[in-house]
Amino acid sequence: MTAARTHALPYLGYGLGLRVEHYEALLEQPAQVEWLEVVSENYMVDGGLPLVWLDRFRERYPLVMHGVSMSIGSTDPLDEDYLTRLAALAQRVEPAWVSDHLCWTGVQGINLHDLMPLPYTEEALDHVVGRVKQVQDRLKRRILLENVSSYVSFAQSQLTEWEFLAEVAERADCLLLLDVNNVHVSAMNHGFSSLDYLRGIPVSRVQQFHLAGYEQGERLIVDTHDAPVSNAVWDLYLEAVRRFGRVSTMIERDDHFPPLAELLAELEHARALAEPLLRDAA
Amino acid sequence: MSTLQAIQQQMQQAVLTAQTSPLSSVRSDAIADVHSRLAVYQHGYRIRLRDALKNEFVGLSSMVSRGFDALLDTYVETHPSNHFNIRWYGTGLAGFLENKRHDKPQLAEMARLDWAISTAFDATDEPSIDITQLATIPPEAWATLQLVPQGNLQVLSCAYNVDTFRRAADHGTTRPHLRRYAKPRRILVWRHAMSIHYRRLEEDESQVLTAVQRGESFATLCAILAEYHGETAAMSRMVALLQAWVGAGLLRDLGTM
Repeated sequence: MTAARTHALPYLGYGLGLRVEHYEALLEQPAQVEWLEVVSENYMVDGGLPLVWLDRFRERYPLVMHGVSMSIGSTDPLDEDYLTRLAALAQRVEPAWVSDHLCWTGVQGINLHDLMPLPYTEEALDHVVGRVKQVQDRLKRRILLENVSSYVSFAQSQLTEWEFLAEVAERADCLLLLDVNNVHVSAMNHGFSSLDYLRGIPVSRVQQFHLAGYEQGERLIVDTHDAPVSNAVWDLYLEAVRRFGRVSTMIERDDHFPPLAELLAELEHARALAEPLLRDAA
Repeated sequence: MSTLQAIQQQMQQAVLTAQTSPLSSVRSDAIADVHSRLAVYQHGYRIRLRDALKNEFVGLSSMVSRGFDALLDTYVETHPSNHFNIRWYGTGLAGFLENKRHDKPQLAEMARLDWAISTAFDATDEPSIDITQLATIPPEAWATLQLVPQGNLQVLSCAYNVDTFRRAADHGTTRPHLRRYAKPRRILVWRHAMSIHYRRLEEDESQVLTAVQRGESFATLCAILAEYHGETAAMSRMVALLQAWVGAGLLRDLGTM
């Protein structure tokens, strides 16, 4: 285990992504879940039930906000309306932190509703760094950026993905949400070493881990976030805990929602893997 | 145009058009060729948008049944999303069906009801007046009184029994037979106490509620009802409607002309 985190945000423990399917169950039995991550866009609405539920969960759990449409890497201008709504939601929720993805979601006013990878070039780096700074100024807080799963890489790339991610974090002074599943998926799809990836990420910048499942395609692994965490990802999680130490960790399920008990069991597994390592290192 | 811009535009175009020819900027390797790599994004794009529409258009799904996916795919292929929330992707579906499916006008009507229900779901929260507020109005103020409706209240004109399709879908009951009315009926959609409601309006209620939305005075509302019921019965009908509207949370405020 190496350097300590120097950009102190609270350590939240072991959490889950909040999904409608588990609303009732999460209000009934919160004991094992220490915090929740909400998808920002689901609550960037004018009123109604989503905000009522959100307020209920806010009373019971520490919350963090996780967005999917900031499109920080897009060459379109940043969406002012989006940022206004995001800032208003952050003011209402007072989350421990706000995150989104290192990706672009569309250009020319279109949203593909996907997390599209960037070419890892100096040009893209300058572009993203400038926009992260803009967003951080607007939100008056440091944001977290998450690594995405990818299926294409670009001939123009001059850096590895982890070099790019580390450079963005350092130059823009932002933090990182390391999705361990996404590291594995991209490593398998592009043939790089997931351990090299972890070793390339600065310890002090990592604030959160995501754990999720994927689907094995014919040639490529597809990041579906709709399955249990795989053994390969659990193994990589252990490596991540060894390198990054005590990091707020959550299970992220976006589809094929099982009963809450199954996610709690996965969360318990994460705890059981990480805590002995963390105790030994203390 | 910068290199980054060019790459993003090419990549987006490849996803939107399901382009099968290789992209010069995308690498191919021993693990997978460019086509297989792009296909993940192209397939995912279509599935995501189709699923988003399925979540919102449950009445239309019930009405179209087996042809529903194909219907949605024609919309997806011609209408990229431009909203940050995928739930809003369906905003143009009713208009699309109106233009493209002249042969089945019930589809656009059904989509319009589904969408009204969807938009009421997270519309702005507003207070509702209660019956005690009506009791405080002095007799001389009633004639110029204005009833202010909820902003989320919508009145749709329907030539078909689309509400029965939606109700069947909501309750998981048997799909009804399609019926065309001799004269279009009005369906009211609104949200009260965080629940979405929809119901048919009688013709007199529809006329009066439309007048409420126009900001007409209470005297004018009574005059409209008098055309249906005569002056004496109009007042008791107005009282009944007022009680029902207040009870259902349809009114946000009271004002004066």
